[in-house]
Amino acid sequence: MTSGLDMLTPLADLIGSGALAAPPAGEKAAGAVHGDIGAWVMAIPFLPLLGSLLCVLCAIFKVKSKLPAWITVAGLAGAFVAAFVMFQQTTGADGGSQWAVAKAFDWINFQWGSEGQALVANFSFYVDSLTCLWMLFVTGLATLIALYASEYMSHDKGPGYCRFFFAFNLFVFSMACLVMGDNLLLLFLGWEGVGLCSYLLIGYFYKKESAVAAAKKAFIMNRIGDLGLSLGVMLTFVHFGTLEYAQLFHDPEMFPKYLALAQAGDFASIPWQVELIPILLAVGAFGKSAQFPLYVWLPDAMEGPTPVSALIHAATMVTAGVYLVARFLPVFAANQAALGLVILIGAFTALLSATIAMRQYDIKRIMAYSTVSQLGYMFVGVAVLAPSGGAFHVFTHAFFKATLFLCCGAVMHGFAGQLDLRKLSGVMSMKGWLIVSLAMLVGCLNLAGVPFTAGYFSKDMILAESFVNGHAIAGWVLLITAGLTAYYTFRVFFRVFVGPTHAEPGEDLHPHEGESMEEAKANFHAHAPGWAINLVLGILLVGSILVAFLYPMHWADDMIATSTAGGIGAGDHTGTVLGMDPHKVMYYVSAVFGVTGILIAAFLHGPKGLWSLGIGNRSEAETSRADALVPKVGPVAHLAERKWLVDELYHATIAMPLRVIAHISHALDRLLVDGLVNLFGWLPRLFGRTIRPAQNGLLHSYAIRMVGGVGVVVLLVVLVTLL
Amino acid sequence: MLALLILLPIVFGLLIALAPSAQAKLIGVVGTFLQLGVFLIIALYQFDWSLGAMQQLKTTYPWLPQFGIELSMGVDSIAMLLLGLTAFLGPILVISSFSAVSTRPKTYYAWLLVLQGAMAGVFCARDAVLFYVFFEFTLVPLYMLISLYGSSNRKAAATKFFLYTFTGSLITLAGVVFLCWWNATQVAQGAYAGAGGWTFSFQALESLAMLSPDAGGMPAFVQTWVFAALIVGFAVKVPLFPFHTWLPLAHTEAPTAGSVVLAGVLLKLGTYGMYRFCLGMTPLGAIELAPVIAVLAIIGIVYAGLVCWVQRDVKKLVAYSSVSHLGFCVLGLFALNSIGLSGSVLYMINHGLSTGALFLLIGMVYERYHTRSMGELGGLAKRMPVWSSFMVFFAMASVGLPGLNGFVSEFMCLLGAFQSGAWTGTGSIAGTVGDLGPWFAAFAALGLIVTAIYILYMVGKVVWGELREPQGHSASSHDDHALPTDLNAREIGVLIPLAVACLFLGLYPTPVLRSLEAPTRAMAVRVESAREHLAVPPVDLATDEAADAPTGEPITLRTTNEGEGE
Repeated sequence: MTSGLDMLTPLADLIGSGALAAPPAGEKAAGAVHGDIGAWVMAIPFLPLLGSLLCVLCAIFKVKSKLPAWITVAGLAGAFVAAFVMFQQTTGADGGSQWAVAKAFDWINFQWGSEGQALVANFSFYVDSLTCLWMLFVTGLATLIALYASEYMSHDKGPGYCRFFFAFNLFVFSMACLVMGDNLLLLFLGWEGVGLCSYLLIGYFYKKESAVAAAKKAFIMNRIGDLGLSLGVMLTFVHFGTLEYAQLFHDPEMFPKYLALAQAGDFASIPWQVELIPILLAVGAFGKSAQFPLYVWLPDAMEGPTPVSALIHAATMVTAGVYLVARFLPVFAANQAALGLVILIGAFTALLSATIAMRQYDIKRIMAYSTVSQLGYMFVGVAVLAPSGGAFHVFTHAFFKATLFLCCGAVMHGFAGQLDLRKLSGVMSMKGWLIVSLAMLVGCLNLAGVPFTAGYFSKDMILAESFVNGHAIAGWVLLITAGLTAYYTFRVFFRVFVGPTHAEPGEDLHPHEGESMEEAKANFHAHAPGWAINLVLGILLVGSILVAFLYPMHWADDMIATSTAGGIGAGDHTGTVLGMDPHKVMYYVSAVFGVTGILIAAFLHGPKGLWSLGIGNRSEAETSRADALVPKVGPVAHLAERKWLVDELYHATIAMPLRVIAHISHALDRLLVDGLVNLFGWLPRLFGRTIRPAQNGLLHSYAIRMVGGVGVVVLLVVLVTLL
Repeated sequence: MLALLILLPIVFGLLIALAPSAQAKLIGVVGTFLQLGVFLIIALYQFDWSLGAMQQLKTTYPWLPQFGIELSMGVDSIAMLLLGLTAFLGPILVISSFSAVSTRPKTYYAWLLVLQGAMAGVFCARDAVLFYVFFEFTLVPLYMLISLYGSSNRKAAATKFFLYTFTGSLITLAGVVFLCWWNATQVAQGAYAGAGGWTFSFQALESLAMLSPDAGGMPAFVQTWVFAALIVGFAVKVPLFPFHTWLPLAHTEAPTAGSVVLAGVLLKLGTYGMYRFCLGMTPLGAIELAPVIAVLAIIGIVYAGLVCWVQRDVKKLVAYSSVSHLGFCVLGLFALNSIGLSGSVLYMINHGLSTGALFLLIGMVYERYHTRSMGELGGLAKRMPVWSSFMVFFAMASVGLPGLNGFVSEFMCLLGAFQSGAWTGTGSIAGTVGDLGPWFAAFAALGLIVTAIYILYMVGKVVWGELREPQGHSASSHDDHALPTDLNAREIGVLIPLAVACLFLGLYPTPVLRSLEAPTRAMAVRVESAREHLAVPPVDLATDEAADAPTGEPITLRTTNEGEGE
């Protein structure tokens, strides 16, 4: 007899984790990964999880020091080392697709059919080069940003500090589950987990109503995407009978079969269920990666502390959607319409948010819109079946966008929350701001796609492949967007970092004892960044430059080729740009667009002197040549500044009507649904009222009626018998 | 042993009534812990979880032999899990009431323990009359708890709760009596144990359900009507839209422990009853009406969720959320497949834990501020960080965040509905026979969004934002019972077990799912094989000459049926 105690024996798995399951038969020896990397794989998600638990302990024991930050940095650095070892072991010299599954413990394991069908989704991790690519930058940047945050958040030491690093660690854990999970449900766990951490961290300054609202908006918008994702997961399960990658990607009856059909052009043989899966997954991806129409939460998410914006809302979490599409590229490739949808949405979002970014004044928001825009590039990249371009852009973007955000954060930290580019100028020439400004410059060069930067190369890969694979319209949209990007990026740089020195403190300014607000403003001194921020920015500055050297090494191509997204090239398409081979001329074409954008920015916003090559003439912080231009453009400029009124549109067409429906439902519930119940309750009482006169207490009246009643009964009985 | 689960709390309840009121708390704690201990002994040493589909620890005593009524008890793993929930919540209910109840503690704790016993009785019963007696008997203690210890409008709420659920269950009783009547008069003796005589045992009625109409079993249209009668009482209890209006009222007026036990266990009597009676005894009715019930469940999910969003009273919000949540549970049941059924049972447990905890948390704030209005309360993260942490945690469990308990069951309910139905057809590997389909899952999944909207609305108002406290309230004047500003050790101690259970069931539900595999698969197979007794489908009619017999059957039956009416 099995007793209840035996039921718990699978718990032993929890303790003895780290066993590395060999790939199932059918996958030839190339599937083996060198050495036993199980323990390293386990360290990546579980070190941050341990870190978050320790932060909870810190909160319980009311730690007031920087201990939570050091715990976090140590744990994440460990995770990074583990990720690097995993990368080393996974990408051997022998080529071919290599993958492994490392199981920690059972999560959901439910046998449901009489023929051994099962719903299996365990805490186990699927490792291939795509996993490694993502985890390298996630853990690496998380470590650096945690170090940065140790200084940035230092004014909140105590419970807030613990809360921040708790959520920070939990985020990395969730992200690891998302990227490394070997099944769609663990991916979903990570997917929602990063959403939760994003919610907690956007709402970190919980006393600000705007922060609370932004956090709520992010979570709900993501949930809309998650609805699509969860239906996609269900459809995958119902169609394939499993959620595990090891089967989905490697069983010849599953994804490989449909991929082969698609590559043979036999789309008619692919059932509609399989064609629907990528569309549903794409909805999830658009939510998490802030694509139209679900992008509006990301700019608002800037209410969170800047390290959070850098890590979660720029470098890592928002790329989860791109990861999803890249990972499931075999099934996306089985449906041309799904790919077309992703290209359409990606290109449109890239353009739309770039136009908004051009007219914002809050530098952090400009960077946020630029993230939305760059994510559009990445989607186009994977969807034109150039996953190496998309993934490489994810990788390079993570570095330079994190750099840009951390620079904005340093400015915000130093100037009492000031982010308005009209109120800051010439930061570079202030004492102690050189590293920040240089890092900002490198970030801007990357984002603008200036030749020989990492951003330039990765963007080129996407642009060239768009043209090659016959998506010329998307290619042109992205080229134009590249010009706009260069403009708004250098608009920030020229306005804030060079030019005449000017600085007004922001709203976080707190006057000293016996000092009025005006005096405080007059006495304001910028607070230059300390060693942690400078160190991190220095590393990122160098890193952002060095990443460019991965391009000539074809690192991203190699990484993708050995992953599940490998071998899904679009075949022998030969699209052209302006009648030439895109692979050869795209370097020049995109450089032209980028440099033009920078020159326009220099002309409109650049200060006098060398920085703007002598074409700029800005002499004060507040105004520039662009201001004169705005009235001429008319309402377009105004609408772009108001973000094309998309938020207002959503409010008027979705949020408000839903709220009204909710109120109507509530009224109906009380009046109609409950009203009927009450009416029903009244009926007996009503009945009682009408017959109450009969209860008059007179004995003879009762007697008469009793006789009458008996008479009626007798009569009925007689009648029934007779009939 | 099962009798001990029922009797122990009731005896301790009587003890409380006899002992001095100073001892009431102590006896209550001992009584509930003993019940929990007995449960653990059963669960760990007596119950064989590997045979979860079987009724175990069966005991039968004659009660009213002339009517075939027996004191018959037995549990399968589903009943065990729900008993576990009941026993687990017992000590929490008692301990959480220490500071909330100051007047007439004897009456309070006595009824609370009696309620514990009665609820255990429902899950143990293997005889329809015994089930019904316990099912109705649970009304009395809760009526007392609400009408004596509730808030201002408690009398009306208690009366409505009592009358509404009572009326509903009378209709259910009529259905049960009809089933037994059919078993006694329409079935040849010896068709199965208990056939052809008066008996109320589950086993006989479940066998009746599987009997082919040719052999005297109930044809589909009769089962449909019986199903409709049976489900009324349970639908009110669950509560299924549109029978839910008693719930928000009862919850808002009930004392904290009353709300916890109501959401935690009492609502599950409804879903458990649906499982045992509606699915187990009238499977053809369940097949015929599954889409209807599922649509009601989906309306409930979305509609009640939207209603939550406009509540000002935080307790009412959570109360309506129960209506929304249990929609998932009912949807999973009527997917009629193994995944849906297991998800549904797991949902019963999970909802009990997370919503129970939310009610506890709201009660703790109410004890301090004497208001539940979100207009007066807000930004408590600043004043009560520990409370707020727990609030966010359980709110996320309620939202169905993966990693916490709600997700697994919610996903399985939806997946069950998704894979249920003919659409899965050819080429699909994991489809099942059933009557729902992806559209049902898609519309129900809108609940994911709606739930996030109202839960985050609540958290945003109560936990985050600028601190708002009721006028005239200051931190120092916190209260008669000298409760600290934030939670005290007793309150944290009450919440920790719930939080641990939520995490455990969220991260490692496999043992529980394992124990559910056998019974739910048995049920799914039963329903699937009962399908053969549906009126013969037209396709077969054309090809199969022998199909005349079953189609002729309903006509003769209808006449007997009408004869009975006169």
